[in-house]
Amino acid sequence: MTGVWATAALWLGLALVATLISRWLHVATALSEIVVGVVAQFILGAALGGAVLGANDSWVKFLAGAGAIVLTFLAGAELDPGVLKSQWKATVVIGLVGFTAPFLGCAAAAYLLLHWTVMASWLAGVALSTTSVAVVYSVMLELGLNTTEYGKAVLAACFVNDLVTVIALGLIFSPFTLHTLVFVLVCLVAFVALPWLTPRFFRRYGGRPSELEAKYILLLLFALGALASWADSEPVLPAYLIGMVLAGTVGKDHVLVRRLRTLTFGLLTPFYFIRAGSFVSLGALAAAPLTFLVLFAAKMVSKSIGVYPATLVFRYPRLERAYTTLLMSTGLTFGSISALFGLTHGVITQAQYSYLIAAVIGSAVIPTLIANAFYLPRHLIPRETQRGDVHLEPVPQGEGLG
Amino acid sequence: MKDLVLAYDCSDSADKAFAFGLDLAVRYQATLHVLSVARPPEPPSMVETQEVLEESEARFRESFRGLDEQARVQGLVPLFEVRAGHPAEQIVRYAEEVEADVIILGHRGHSLSFVDRWLVGSISKRVLTYAHCTVIVVR
Repeated sequence: MTGVWATAALWLGLALVATLISRWLHVATALSEIVVGVVAQFILGAALGGAVLGANDSWVKFLAGAGAIVLTFLAGAELDPGVLKSQWKATVVIGLVGFTAPFLGCAAAAYLLLHWTVMASWLAGVALSTTSVAVVYSVMLELGLNTTEYGKAVLAACFVNDLVTVIALGLIFSPFTLHTLVFVLVCLVAFVALPWLTPRFFRRYGGRPSELEAKYILLLLFALGALASWADSEPVLPAYLIGMVLAGTVGKDHVLVRRLRTLTFGLLTPFYFIRAGSFVSLGALAAAPLTFLVLFAAKMVSKSIGVYPATLVFRYPRLERAYTTLLMSTGLTFGSISALFGLTHGVITQAQYSYLIAAVIGSAVIPTLIANAFYLPRHLIPRETQRGDVHLEPVPQGEGLG
Repeated sequence: MKDLVLAYDCSDSADKAFAFGLDLAVRYQATLHVLSVARPPEPPSMVETQEVLEESEARFRESFRGLDEQARVQGLVPLFEVRAGHPAEQIVRYAEEVEADVIILGHRGHSLSFVDRWLVGSISKRVLTYAHCTVIVVR
C-alpha cells in the first residue's frame, strides 16, 4: 500500500498546487488542474519515467471517473426544470442549433482539413460542440438577465445543447447492441421513477448524520454508470440526465448539493482534470501547431455562427454582441470529457487528444482574455426601452442556476 | 450629495474606503450604499461558478454585519448589496441604478497579480473611465 499512499499524496499535492494557482490567478480550478497535469507529466515523466503519476492505475481511474460523473450530475441538477417545461420549443430549437453548428463544422474541419478518420472527426465535433452553461450563466448574471424569461430560456437551451452533446457522445461511438437497448430502457424507467421516488425516500429516511442522501445519489450514479460502460457508452450520460430529472428535488436541497460539491472538488475532480492533462503530449502540440489552430478556428467560427444571430435577434448593441459571442464560444468540462472518452476508447490517438484538449482550453481562455481586454461594454446594460421586449429585473441574492 | 456608493471587497484598502465613505455620508447626511461584487472564476466553469458565487456572497454578508455596526454607532444605516460579475462593470451599473453622486473605492495598487490585472484590469481606472458621477479612490 505504500506506493498507493505515495501516489495519492503526489496527486493531492498537485491538486493543492493547482488550487493555489487558480486562486492567485483567479482562473477556474478545472483549467488550472488540467495545466498542472500537463506540466507534471512533462516534467516528472522526463525526470522519473512516464508512469510515475500512475494515471492508468485502476484506483486513479476510478476516482477520476467518479469525479466526472458526480460533477456532471451536479451540473445537470442546476437546471431550472420549470423553464424547460414552459418554453420547451424555443429551448430545444436553440439548444439543437447551438450543438449542430459546431458539431458539423468541427467534424468537417477535422475530416476535410486535417484528414482525420471519420470516427475521430465525429469525436472532434462532439468535443468542440459544447456550450459552457457556466459562462452563459455568468454573462446573464452580469447583465441582470438571469431572472428574465429570455435569460432562463437561453440558459435552458445551453443545458439542451450539452445534453445533446452527451447523448451524441454516449450513442455515436457505442455499437448498437442488445446491451444498448437494455441500457436505454433501464435509463428511461429510472428517469420516470426517480423524480417520484427520491423525494419520498429522502423524506422517510433522510436528514440524519449517516448521509443517506449522498449514498443514494452515488449508488444511482455508479449503478447507471456501470450499465453505461457495459453498453460501451459513457457513464456521464446517465449522470447528466439523472441530474436534470432530479433538478427539481435534489437540486433544490442546498445542503446536500454543497456536501456533494465538497466531495467533488475536494477529492474527485482533481484526479479527473489532472489525469486529463497528463495525457496531453506537448511534443505532439509542438510538432503540429497548425492542427490546434485549425480546430480552434473551426470551433470559434462555427459556434459564432450559432450565437451571433441570436444576439442580433435580441438587439444587443454592437460591442455587447461581440462580447457575448466571444464568451459563449467557450467550453471546458464536457470538451475534456469527450476527448478523454475518445482516447480511452481508441477513437483518437494521443496526438489527436492533445490537439483537442488544446483547442478546448484555447476556446475557454482566449475568448475570455479578448473579451475582458477589449470589449468591456461602455453602457453595460441597455435600457428596457432599447431592449424591446426584455424586462430587466434586479439580480436576486442567492439565486442559483435552478 | 445624497447617495454614495462604496465598493467593498473585504480588503484593507476597502476598509479604509469604508471609513472614508462613512465619514462623508455622516457629514452630508447621505445614504451610503455598500456594494460587493462576487467574481466568477475565469473562464467560468460548471458547478464551481455557483459555488464561488454562493461562498462569496456568504463572506460579504458576514462582513456587512461588522460594517453595519460601525455605521450604526455613528447614526447611519447603510444599504448593502451583493452583485456578481466584473467588478468595474457592476460598480458603474449599480451607481447608475441608484443615481449615485459619488463612487468611493479603495486603491488596490500592487496587490493585484499580473494576470488579475489582465483579466480584470485596474478596477479603479475602469470605474473612473465609465462612471457617470464623481469617483473617489482612497489610498
